[in-house]
Amino acid sequence: MKSSTQFKQDHSSASSPYFSDDVRDFSQVEKSIPCQEACPAKTNVPGYIRDIYEEKYGRAYEINRACNILPGVLGRICSRPCEEACRHGNDNNGDSVAICYLKRSCADLKSPMHRIIEGLYTPTGKKVAVIGSGPAGLAVAHELAVMGHKVTIYESEEKPGGMLMYGIPEFRLPRNLLLSEIENILRLGIDLHTSTMIGKDINLEDLHDIYDAIVAAIGCMKPRTLEVAGEGLENVYNGLDFMKMVNAGQTPYVGEKTVVIGAGFTAVDCARSAVRLGASQVDIHMRKTVELMRIDAHEKVEAQYEHIGLHGLMQPNRIIGENGRVTGIEFLRTRLEQTDRSPYRVSVPIENSEFVIPADTIIAALGQTPDKEVIFNRAQQSLTMEGYFSAGDFVSGSSDVIHAIADGKRCAQEVDHYLTGIVRKKKMVRIEPCSTTDRDRSFDFISRTAMDTIGLSERKAQLTAEVESGFNTEQAYEESKRCYLCNLRYEIDPQRCIYCSACIDVMPKDCIKMVKGIVFEDSGAYQSYETSQYWNQATAISIDNSKCIRCGKCLEVCPMDCISVHKTELVEVDLASESFE
Amino acid sequence: MASNDHYVIAGNGPAGNAALNTLRKNDPESRITIISDESVGFYSKPRLCSYISGRIEEDELFIHEDLSFDNTRLRLGQHIQSIDPDQKIIFLSHMEKINYTKLIIASGSKPSPSPYMTQFMPYLKSITDFHEAKTHKQCIHDAQQFLVLGGDLVGFKFIDMLISMGKAATLILYPQAFWPFVLDSDMVDRITASLEPKGIRIMVNDRIQSIQDADGGYQVATLNHARNEIEEHYCDQVFAFSGMTPNIDFACKKGFDIDHGILVNEYLRTRFQDVYACGSCAQIFNPILKVYQTTIGWTNAETQGEIAALNLLGANQVTRLAPQKYFDLEGVKIKTSWWDDTDENPNPDGDF
Repeated sequence: MKSSTQFKQDHSSASSPYFSDDVRDFSQVEKSIPCQEACPAKTNVPGYIRDIYEEKYGRAYEINRACNILPGVLGRICSRPCEEACRHGNDNNGDSVAICYLKRSCADLKSPMHRIIEGLYTPTGKKVAVIGSGPAGLAVAHELAVMGHKVTIYESEEKPGGMLMYGIPEFRLPRNLLLSEIENILRLGIDLHTSTMIGKDINLEDLHDIYDAIVAAIGCMKPRTLEVAGEGLENVYNGLDFMKMVNAGQTPYVGEKTVVIGAGFTAVDCARSAVRLGASQVDIHMRKTVELMRIDAHEKVEAQYEHIGLHGLMQPNRIIGENGRVTGIEFLRTRLEQTDRSPYRVSVPIENSEFVIPADTIIAALGQTPDKEVIFNRAQQSLTMEGYFSAGDFVSGSSDVIHAIADGKRCAQEVDHYLTGIVRKKKMVRIEPCSTTDRDRSFDFISRTAMDTIGLSERKAQLTAEVESGFNTEQAYEESKRCYLCNLRYEIDPQRCIYCSACIDVMPKDCIKMVKGIVFEDSGAYQSYETSQYWNQATAISIDNSKCIRCGKCLEVCPMDCISVHKTELVEVDLASESFE
Repeated sequence: MASNDHYVIAGNGPAGNAALNTLRKNDPESRITIISDESVGFYSKPRLCSYISGRIEEDELFIHEDLSFDNTRLRLGQHIQSIDPDQKIIFLSHMEKINYTKLIIASGSKPSPSPYMTQFMPYLKSITDFHEAKTHKQCIHDAQQFLVLGGDLVGFKFIDMLISMGKAATLILYPQAFWPFVLDSDMVDRITASLEPKGIRIMVNDRIQSIQDADGGYQVATLNHARNEIEEHYCDQVFAFSGMTPNIDFACKKGFDIDHGILVNEYLRTRFQDVYACGSCAQIFNPILKVYQTTIGWTNAETQGEIAALNLLGANQVTRLAPQKYFDLEGVKIKTSWWDDTDENPNPDGDF
């Protein structure tokens, strides 16, 4: 392989795409494309949004699927770290792009005749058992099947999907969509055995005799408890059990007043389900503050719309009951205090601050932990045994779906290396010259497109009715225009620049700078610019791609045509291929 | 008293000005900067509707504070982007940095538009500050038919103004616009019973489907989910009032403790040394009830502004509860502080 420097030199004036493993290019992609960097699966967000703009929904779907095997699912229930990072949401830039809604759009709007693309490797003859069919298990299974291994999934529940099937309410995630995307994974020849509990229906030792590797992806299914008096009273639920009942079509009792304890997605799911089950007053209480809730702003808005109260700074002290049933809950007020791990804050109870809230139902949605006894107690095995791997929440603790999928993919590559002894792929930056950005400045002033939803009465009338309606083609097109296309890299050629400052005069943001030097990281990557306000100190004029909004104004006014635009893309390339193209 | 201090007050409303007067009086040698994102001086927001209707003149709106002191600088039209409480620096959006020795955050509250309305924002007008009141005054006089969305506390003053001006209006009421206080069905019925005889048509929770320009006005389609019916409205103007939220974006993710507002103790101190918060942007610890409370209203803001300034100067005063604790909303009593277990006799004469 050519060295990175050679690549750079060879292609600096190239008119066709080329690949780079230069640390400076990786660094530039990391810093300039914050949405992709924030995504645990490193989804090429600007790439698929551009395809939606061009109404190539199937292609956009496949860009998503290359990183995450459940685009339609994630387009509905992702925790959206990308949107928090989106530069359109920075100060004075407006609201972040509705990236998650657009992800859903490419799943919803692709042709019914769309063909799934799978780059299959030849069969290896190796067999792998995956325990658990949640997002991490599905991601591991898919990736290993693509690599040519024979995969069998063992699932203890009746249906596949794990928390997606049993933890998330159907009004947020329609089950036909979930099953359809799971079926797309299983079609690679993956065997699925449901209602099969490892340690009960089949022993771990037996699996070792059959398979070359075993992956545990059993998630976090052991609920945390309140650890207060009265927890055993009737109508006190833990969040996961409550959601499993709701998702199984049962109607757990909720009474008039439901109190939910928790600060994450499960707490909000339980509260919104309780509203649909007929509770007239539903409130979520949490130990820390509403600002520190582990949900996105969108979920807060939906909770507010459904008249769910959010109350911070209180922790349960005891649950009160009569005749074995809940009648109320006593809280202690809390305040936040500093920890050693600044900036983290802990909540501490305030002495003598007890107060009681009447309640018919208490739901403790405090999250879950891995239940390692499920597998290991019976087999007396350790986590370090040969051929054993683990993935997803089982490893990291309770996180979210996109983290689980990303970790599943990581685990699959580890398993593949264990089975074959080879490294198949390498990350590189694909760089393609662009003659035009095709992006109008007026796009920057388009308001974020709101998602249509069904009304409150419809939500209450049908427990499973999907709340969000999805974008139509016009809405998706309009929203796709808003993306800054941060994957476009603007550069000024210092050899040709005449320092006329025309570009600086037209820049709408503080994105073009007079530079007197560049600070490098130890790795050799660019860290920051040393800027100057004085012409006599400037050695170059440079575009700060982490501030640039790709309006193209500098390109239009440059008299020397010394500004170049390249599309950059983080890709995985086969090391065995003779050519990357 | 130190004379080389630079006190900065973020906010030019009643809390900020009460703090300013207290600082001047008690530490006349210090340097004081008051920062406002509005381009005009201190004025009475509760009287904006009176100004629009013509009951008072523009000059009567303004509260003429004496700014002739050499040590006081009023920075108008300057938006605070963020605060670094460790370095004691305020970053303004035009890239200026202001160093302070002590800071009082009195930034008040701002509109909280429903996400469902964001796509219609180019069509929606509001009255949240003097600039908007002045901009929309003439068009309000010229218009006859109004569609009003939301209906928070400011919105109801606007409705009262329209009634006094003899205008026709339809109010699409969103009970959750008062969040964290949600109007229950009984309250909605009482508000409806009060307003409909005055000629205001009330619709509850209908959603906007589309807004289009039509004959100098607007054609608005609304959907009633319960009946699954779309209704077309023609109106001259569409105004939206969908609740207020603490105006503290610049403090978010900068280390401040925030629940709904910036959390402060009973002395109005934030978790950072020499940084205080007061008025409707703060959530104040009540040592008797042992709860953090949000307050609204002019009287509360002035009281807290004064106490924040005194404590900044070294006093140790506990925040007093202002006597006014209720606002009359068409016969329905709305508290001016939430999460408050005490129940005083409602006083219908609000100070909004």
